[in-house]
Amino acid sequence: MKKTITLIGLLMILAFGLTLLSGCAEKKAVVKDEAVQEQRVGASDTATVTDDEAARKAKEQADREAALKAQAAREAWAKKNAAALNALNIQNIYFDFDRSNVRADAREILKANAEIFKANANAKIIVEGHCDERGTAEYNMALGERRAQEAKQYLVNLGIDSSRLVTISYGEERPADAQSTEEAWAQNRRAQFVLE
Amino acid sequence: MKYQFLWTPLIILLALFGAANSGQASKIYIDIDSPTFLQFPIAVRDFPQKGEGQVETADLGIALPDQIKKYLKMTGLFNPLDRRSFLETGGASPAEQIRFSDWAAIGADYLLTGAITISPSEIACEVRLSDVVRGNALLHKRYLSPRPDLRALARAVTSDILLTLTGDEGDFNTRIAFVAKNGPEADIHAISYDGEDIVKLTSHRSIITSPRWSPDGQYLAFTSYRHGRPEVYLHHLKTGKEKRISSHEGLNLSGGFSPDSRNLLLTLSKDSNEEIYVLELDSMRLKRLTYNYSIDVSPAWSPCGKKIAFVSNRSGSPQIFIMDADGNNVRRITFEGNYNTSPAWSPRGGKIAFEGSINRQFQIFTVDEEGEHLTQLTFDDANNEYPSWSPSGRQIVYGSRSGSKSRICIIGSNGQQMRILKESGSPSVMPAWSPRMNP
Repeated sequence: MKKTITLIGLLMILAFGLTLLSGCAEKKAVVKDEAVQEQRVGASDTATVTDDEAARKAKEQADREAALKAQAAREAWAKKNAAALNALNIQNIYFDFDRSNVRADAREILKANAEIFKANANAKIIVEGHCDERGTAEYNMALGERRAQEAKQYLVNLGIDSSRLVTISYGEERPADAQSTEEAWAQNRRAQFVLE
Repeated sequence: MKYQFLWTPLIILLALFGAANSGQASKIYIDIDSPTFLQFPIAVRDFPQKGEGQVETADLGIALPDQIKKYLKMTGLFNPLDRRSFLETGGASPAEQIRFSDWAAIGADYLLTGAITISPSEIACEVRLSDVVRGNALLHKRYLSPRPDLRALARAVTSDILLTLTGDEGDFNTRIAFVAKNGPEADIHAISYDGEDIVKLTSHRSIITSPRWSPDGQYLAFTSYRHGRPEVYLHHLKTGKEKRISSHEGLNLSGGFSPDSRNLLLTLSKDSNEEIYVLELDSMRLKRLTYNYSIDVSPAWSPCGKKIAFVSNRSGSPQIFIMDADGNNVRRITFEGNYNTSPAWSPRGGKIAFEGSINRQFQIFTVDEEGEHLTQLTFDDANNEYPSWSPSGRQIVYGSRSGSKSRICIIGSNGQQMRILKESGSPSVMPAWSPRMNP
């Protein structure tokens, strides 16, 4: 009997100790007696980034050049594609605010686009999803992807091989019209098709 | 006999309780979260200064108290009294002979006195915080610095004053990361709590979104289009080294870190639909958490690690939901308005900040985990977005857009004491508050 009670007591202490340790927040206390505390301030450098300024600058320069080169290549592609696209008359489709379903008017456009994609069977198709500037940038990243996915699915249903279709969301980052008007927003809620 | 044995563990238990609370038990912190809280009236006396040795130290005895007053004001918790109201002038009497009645008479509850001793190798600043009513010292500390770093000294002193009076050191040793846009390009910058020291952290010059600090302060996770599409990167702050950690087909979007910094939440569309996943950073093992044919995005971990808040449009419009960390027990917590996004969990638990659309503008709100106590914090004529809590849980940083102006603002978690941290013509968006860094 004695043993059991002592055991229960010990278990209680253990359990209580654990609850003390498992708290989420950690508290730091200042000792407030009259003994003077000491602290060293600014002895070690708090900056975390500037380890080697020269190497960093050189790397930044190299990065910048590489980025510029990549950008030039991308722009050349875009130019070529833009010319090809104009010739092919591929049209954008548009969406309602905060919606990703393919509207009735968009279905007709997608059918016409699908015929063009079938006629250019070697080209990959990038489906870009875009949003207007209203709403949250991060949520719009997801919404843009959803729009691109819905357009892609519709094209797959029309017989386009899904392996030719790649989706990419630009959220609200690449508006077609930078103004803050109802007309501009309607133009910006779109899926756009790029052949590659 | 029996009862004797029953008492033994109880006494040990009480002793344990006492030990765990020693240093706390005798302290009564002022409840600064109470709606009736009034700012602490504090007098900061000029610090007498002796010795010579370094340049730029000539007026440290005035500049340092001024900087401390500026920082005390920044917390929103203090009302530093005007020097001109003082009955006794700085430097007149040593700290031991303060006439507290003089300070009580001008309405000060607390008094900060100090003295600076300058030698060629070191600056010593001895500081004493006194309770004017009781006439006793609450804090007595000497700060040693090899150079006259005004801001570092003021940060250290102010942090200790806060810790002494509120039980929390405040947010002085923190920074705020944000996305700085320049036309179609963007990069992540960081700014310190006092609005100084803007540092550029990345060199991507592409679309960048969703910066998130790891709670250990080592890493920043973010989404970048550097390679033409949204992929998630991990940026090591000390070395500047970067690693691409998520590049699945479709969308890769960074979410919050787990409290132990070992897991990162992600939004991926690789399984044909935007779902929330958790990536274990050591093993790169990926686990899917949500299964729903709708958008699930913007996941944020609770400070205890047991729950995750996120945005979903599964009920028709974007709303805030909470689930267990394993993806179970999903429940909606916002019911007002038709557009609620960007959840951020208070480090002190309980509350979630988010942005909600009201009268065609976004404003910052808080709500508790049960979906109750909805509180609107911002009311100005602007789009206020992307809230992020300070480590103390007492302040929230957010981005504010109105017309061509782009601001980063800090507001008290009770909606009081808004201050502008940064203002510019080019957009500065998506602020993210760092954890506490070593001072």
